[in-house]
Amino acid sequence: MKNDEAFEAEVLPQLRPLFGMAYRLTGNAHDAEDLVQETMLRAYRAFDSYRPGTNARAWLFTILYRLRTDALRRRGRSPETVELVDDGPPVAPVHEAALTSGHEEITRALEGLPEIFRSAVVLRDVEEFTYAEIASILEVPVGTVMSRIHRGRALLRRALAGRVE
Amino acid sequence: MSCDPQRVTALVDEVLEGEEKATIEAHLAGCEACRAQAADEERLRASLRTLEAPEPPFGLEQRVLRRLRGRGRLAGAVRVLLPLAAALVLVLWARGYAPLLAWELSRDHDHCFEMRELPAQVPASQPATVAAWFDERGTPLPELPETVGRLALVGGRYCWLMPDLSRVAHVYYTSDDQQVSVFSVPHAVRIDDHYTTRTKGNAVVLVNLGRSVVGVVGEDAEAVEAFVSRLRTSVAAGEAPESAAASALRPRS
Repeated sequence: MKNDEAFEAEVLPQLRPLFGMAYRLTGNAHDAEDLVQETMLRAYRAFDSYRPGTNARAWLFTILYRLRTDALRRRGRSPETVELVDDGPPVAPVHEAALTSGHEEITRALEGLPEIFRSAVVLRDVEEFTYAEIASILEVPVGTVMSRIHRGRALLRRALAGRVE
Repeated sequence: MSCDPQRVTALVDEVLEGEEKATIEAHLAGCEACRAQAADEERLRASLRTLEAPEPPFGLEQRVLRRLRGRGRLAGAVRVLLPLAAALVLVLWARGYAPLLAWELSRDHDHCFEMRELPAQVPASQPATVAAWFDERGTPLPELPETVGRLALVGGRYCWLMPDLSRVAHVYYTSDDQQVSVFSVPHAVRIDDHYTTRTKGNAVVLVNLGRSVVGVVGEDAEAVEAFVSRLRTSVAAGEAPESAAASALRPRS
């Protein structure tokens, strides 16, 4: 049967980063907690298939992201539908101060990103996952990960430049 | 090469190797715009890395654990209680506990009559035909009426009772708006003369006819009672309580 101690040891330390990701995806603490609770329940049920000592963090983020996209799909909102094919207009170099501005400014700019780019940027720049891990979490090819991170950062730079100018 | 902003992102993230990396680095050396993009992304990354994670609401961990442990406890309880309940059912069944038999016959009555087509193995309206069919298979039935009120014989089959998968003869009677089942109960059930109850929405009477116990089930209690009196009358009137075929097998004294 399940080893509750192993589950608590491997999974509970990830509660904080999971809540952070859930909050950045949903934009509010209530939905974020629901998403985290559901993620933990799924993880608990599937813990038999998890190999202890492997990448628990990436495994949990994968469950969380899948639950999030399933929920959006049920509400008829797929994050895929906002994917843009082109690169958008080139971004002029941004004033240095804008990119090192306060957390509040950056957080607000991040919140303004379409979710599909926000998730890629947060996984890379906040949670520091590798491209390969992000590809597995988002269930897309590595090339798509690269393009989403690129587009996300370009949009962020543009948003922050607008605030300083 | 011309500008490739996506590759610049990849360079910042240090995912390029070998020739690809050398090419883009050489391009950067001569392209101010791409150098500026790389510098912007580096700074952005540094800022994002220092972003504090949103503070989890107070008590999140306890709530998560409570939910998981609650499930664990529940699952544990079910693991212990289910086999106990199953064992209890078997003990009661073996001791001929009448309410359990009544419940099971009521379940089987619904099970058959809820099917789109009545699953009769012997679809027949003549009591002799139905009785002979069961007789040939080792189950003598009490004298069956052809009709009782508006309810008429339509056939029968063997059904399986859940607790021990014992086989029971199940005879069907229907009218426009009613169904009644007559069961010939194979195993000993602890009743003196009869046991009457209402279970799972059906009236059930178990009646001891001397040689065998018969169960009658139907939604309408009056219709069920009418069947019981008819079956009793047949036996009391000395009409063969077993079929003619079964009697013929017994050595004459």
